[in-house]
Amino acid sequence: MPIFWLILAVLAIAVAGFLGARHRALSLAGADRRSLHSLPNYYGWSAAIAAMLPAFAMLALWVVLQPIFLNMRAAPLLEMDAGGAAALAMADVRRVANGLALGLSSGVLTPDQVASITPEEVRSTLGAIGVALGSEVSPQTLAAAEVYRAGQSAGTAAMSVVVLALAVAGAAWIWLRTRPETRARNGVERVMRYALLSAALIAILTTLGIVLSLIFNTVKFFGLYPADEFLFGLTWSPSFGGGSTLGFVPLLWGTLYISFVALIVAVPIGLLAAIYLSEYATSRVRSIAKPALEILAGIPTIVYGLFALVTVGPFLLDIFGAGGVLGVSWMRGATAVMTAGLVMGIMLIPFVSSLSDDIINAVPQAMRDGSYGLGATQSETIRQVILPAALPGIVGAILLAASRAIGETMIVVLGAGAAAQLSMNPFDAMTTVTAKIVSQLTGDADFSSPEALVAFALGMTLFVITLALNVFALWIVRRYREQYE
Amino acid sequence: MTDFGATGSHPHELRRGRSLFDLDDRTRRRNRSEGAFRWLGIGAIALSMVFIVILLGTIVARGLPAFTQTTITIEVPLDAAVLDPNGTGDPEVIRSVLTFGYAPLIERGLAGTVAATGVETELTSSQLPQLLSPGVAATLRDMVAADPSLVGQTVQVEALASGRADGYLKGRVTRESLARDTNLSPAHLDVLDALVEQDLARRAFNWDFILGADASESRPEEAGIGVAMIGSFYMMLTVLLLALPIGVAASIYLEEFAPQNRLTDLIEVNISNLAAVPSIVFGILGLAAFIQFAHLPQSAPLVGGLVLTLMTLPTIIISTRAALKAVPPSIRDAALGVGASKMQSVFHHVLPLAMPGILTGLIIGLAQALGETAPLLLIGMVGFIASNPPDGFIDGFVSPNSAMPAQIYEWAKRADPAYYERAWGGIIVLLLFLLVMNVLAVLLRRRFERRW
Amino acid sequence: MFDNRISERRTMTNEIKIRAEGVDVYYGDNHAIKDVSVDISDKMVTAFIGPSGCGKSTFLRCINRMNDTVASARVDGTILLDGEDIYDKRVDPVQLRARVGMVFQKPNPFPKSIYDNVAYGPKIHGMAKNRAELDEIVEKALKRAALWGEVKDRLAAPGTGLSGGQQQRLCIARAVATEPEVLLMDEPCSALDPIATAQVEELIDELRQDYSVVIVTHSMQQAARVSQRTAFFHLGHLVEFDETDRIFTNPTDPRTESYISGRIG
Repeated sequence: MPIFWLILAVLAIAVAGFLGARHRALSLAGADRRSLHSLPNYYGWSAAIAAMLPAFAMLALWVVLQPIFLNMRAAPLLEMDAGGAAALAMADVRRVANGLALGLSSGVLTPDQVASITPEEVRSTLGAIGVALGSEVSPQTLAAAEVYRAGQSAGTAAMSVVVLALAVAGAAWIWLRTRPETRARNGVERVMRYALLSAALIAILTTLGIVLSLIFNTVKFFGLYPADEFLFGLTWSPSFGGGSTLGFVPLLWGTLYISFVALIVAVPIGLLAAIYLSEYATSRVRSIAKPALEILAGIPTIVYGLFALVTVGPFLLDIFGAGGVLGVSWMRGATAVMTAGLVMGIMLIPFVSSLSDDIINAVPQAMRDGSYGLGATQSETIRQVILPAALPGIVGAILLAASRAIGETMIVVLGAGAAAQLSMNPFDAMTTVTAKIVSQLTGDADFSSPEALVAFALGMTLFVITLALNVFALWIVRRYREQYE
Repeated sequence: MTDFGATGSHPHELRRGRSLFDLDDRTRRRNRSEGAFRWLGIGAIALSMVFIVILLGTIVARGLPAFTQTTITIEVPLDAAVLDPNGTGDPEVIRSVLTFGYAPLIERGLAGTVAATGVETELTSSQLPQLLSPGVAATLRDMVAADPSLVGQTVQVEALASGRADGYLKGRVTRESLARDTNLSPAHLDVLDALVEQDLARRAFNWDFILGADASESRPEEAGIGVAMIGSFYMMLTVLLLALPIGVAASIYLEEFAPQNRLTDLIEVNISNLAAVPSIVFGILGLAAFIQFAHLPQSAPLVGGLVLTLMTLPTIIISTRAALKAVPPSIRDAALGVGASKMQSVFHHVLPLAMPGILTGLIIGLAQALGETAPLLLIGMVGFIASNPPDGFIDGFVSPNSAMPAQIYEWAKRADPAYYERAWGGIIVLLLFLLVMNVLAVLLRRRFERRW
Repeated sequence: MFDNRISERRTMTNEIKIRAEGVDVYYGDNHAIKDVSVDISDKMVTAFIGPSGCGKSTFLRCINRMNDTVASARVDGTILLDGEDIYDKRVDPVQLRARVGMVFQKPNPFPKSIYDNVAYGPKIHGMAKNRAELDEIVEKALKRAALWGEVKDRLAAPGTGLSGGQQQRLCIARAVATEPEVLLMDEPCSALDPIATAQVEELIDELRQDYSVVIVTHSMQQAARVSQRTAFFHLGHLVEFDETDRIFTNPTDPRTESYISGRIG
């Protein structure tokens, strides 16, 4: 594990630099420690940072670039066109190269043996030291592997030298420059500031990562499957053998239908609960009901999913199914739009109520006073003054809830069914964008087939829809809050 | 009323002459609608409470049985003729006997035990073992392999009952429901009743459910959540180790150092939007970035932890910033006033004071991550049966594993009702963890709550 | 100091509209109003003055039971409106507030149109049978509040878009639209500039023709300008209650004198 040892060595140099620079600062300052610009440790830290920062940066760069460079050197030897097959062949090359390197380092093979090994021997030789190869090795592969291995061992050696040299040079440079008046603290703090900034930049990197991984694979998908047939297709019937019809419309319909049912449940209950809690409830009722609602909010979605599948679905089936209490046979199976929608609605109640609670509380007390002063009852005040005043905020809250519903996965995976269909009957099984992302990407999917890649296109649409809803909703809510600040 | 509204029928005029003590019809009507509206609110609260009660009630009622398991005490003759036909006494030979070799012994033992109870049954001795778990043979084999000297003796074994037999004692399986079942017949239940009467079949606390590993589809009675718990533990450890420093550093930057510029705005917008991105999208990111691009191993808790870190970072950053904001500026001014640098004032004074708030936010973020399922499905943490705990501490990060919510999902997908019971039981375990974390967060907040 | 007009009108009536006897108000453990008794006449402006925190606003809010909306508040004693106890169990505060209107310190128009702001009270009290009657009520109220000329062309515009002074006059219009008998005003000019203040003060003097007006103010000049009777509150006690010019020229209580001359408060 040379990289591991290299890191340890750099750390050791950093510690030495720390102690050296600290000592030098102290001894140069002599008896008068107040002549030091910074606390002694800052001089030490400067040297340690100077040792580690460039060395580790170089190490990271080298680790990333070396395989790319070696690929470029070895690939032409394979005499293949670039593409999926070449990528697989390169993977073989790397495996053989790593196997040979392992053989060398563990002493099983001598350099002479490696130099004279024939393609026929490779598989058995490497198998003996625990490197399993899937097939016999072609002469080209072996040649490329040998180039790769040689480059790798030379590169790794060079890397060690360069990294260690950088670390020593950095530490020594700071050590030489250390004077009592050196502004060591300022330097250290500047580095810390950049470290803090880079932590904050992870948010941007995450978004970038999401967008890139979605776009990259979506483009690949549209290369295999026409975009218009995906976006406007009315049938969804994937078959992993090929010849799938991947129409997005039934999935969108199922998603919107289930979200709609969920909002029909969650918005009235959540809103009325918020109104009651913020306007009517005594502090005792509030102190019980609020934590109780938080319990509902803290329950993981998998629990709701199981609840839909095992409890709510069969319950609804007993009422609306064939031979049910109502004598109607609207429902054929336990999984349905209604099952998932109802449960998702329950899940969203605390979300809607806590957002609405915040928004109702943001309406100034002066509005209520004004209304009561005119002889309005509490409900008249709520319905005719507070709710109209809070309307933009409440709309924002509902949009946020809608975005939650659209992106919810576990409840629909377990409760909504798997059949994609365009139906108006809320008791039919339907499926959603999120459920299909899960079903297309779990199992042994081949990531280059349209059946798997379609999940990224679905993820893309999901991301765009929820992002648009969120941005819009947050904008509304922010404007609403500013109005009363 | 000098210049307007002097009509005699005007409501105002009516009002002026009236006593305050009698309510007019309109006020009565308005009060009624006031009452109705209030009841609407009470109804909404009550309905929410009913949902909570039903949900929690279902979880407890359906999940508790998973914590007990039925065993049947049988006397198994460890016949040397079967296990060591040549009488070598060589442990290697004895260990080489497959579980198939033990099946007839168990059959004999069970038949003997049943015969001893004196119950009459039309079942043949080869049908009786359907009362037992198919895993009993393996258990017995492990027992003998550990102690070859047992060969030739008759040992008493607490054999795990099969999922259906166990379900009968728990009330999940009834005689009617067995009519369409080929695995167990009502005659078995008669035998079972007799065994229960003589205290040979009994339910005991099921440590294997809490500590054990998942089992194959046909052996729900052996499945446990312990290994998935370890997977969850490693993921939480990853989240803790990454999200705490990164989240705190990012929050300190944004709250204390960030200049007012485009980059800062961009970061802020990104954080607030990431907080609302559906969790499944983070799963896609994990799949594409960590597994496809960076070639990290599938099903590894490390990858799950990375995905969950990215997912919970916005939550943690938002709460950490709130905690930093709650530290009054006078503390910063005081530190700067005695000559500390900005960085020193933040790390020596502001951060320690904000720590309880930060930890509270962190625990809530961890709780959210612990219950998350959807992204884990995409990085291969389901459908995988980890039969053993990881070999070493470091190995736990990379060896394939599941996680509690993913394990629950896996059980929920299996058609056997015995697995639904396991799933609900798993939910109880999961919710207990979440409860502990939330109580911890509340206590932390209470203990260190400070009024400036 | 006094406008002659005001002095002339003082003799118009002296009928008692509101009589408070031995009123005590508690906020939790805080005894905010201590044994206050006062008679407020009809068709007259009564001013409550005193240093901030003296309880004058609290007492004002007792007169239309606005303190009911504060959970911790408790009121003892009796307040009679036309001889009827407003804290009697049979009294519905909603009905009471229709007869005792209120204007607040900060203009608080609802986020609705100017028209809807004024029409809100008449609508909830069912004062108009149809739209035409409602239009009439709104127009009269806006004219009464001396706002009609400024807003008659933009009745559908939001009330929050008006200037501060206009907003406060809109709130007064809103209050008078329900045709109360008593109008309570809690420092109605404290958030306004001098010109708007002058307009509102003029309006208050006009309103006296029809209503009994009670105004809380921390400005002694304002009390002197608009009121006929003045009550001086100090630390929850009613120290002195008399004709406005007596209070300002010849107060009996030394505390009143100290306040008037600027030594306390």
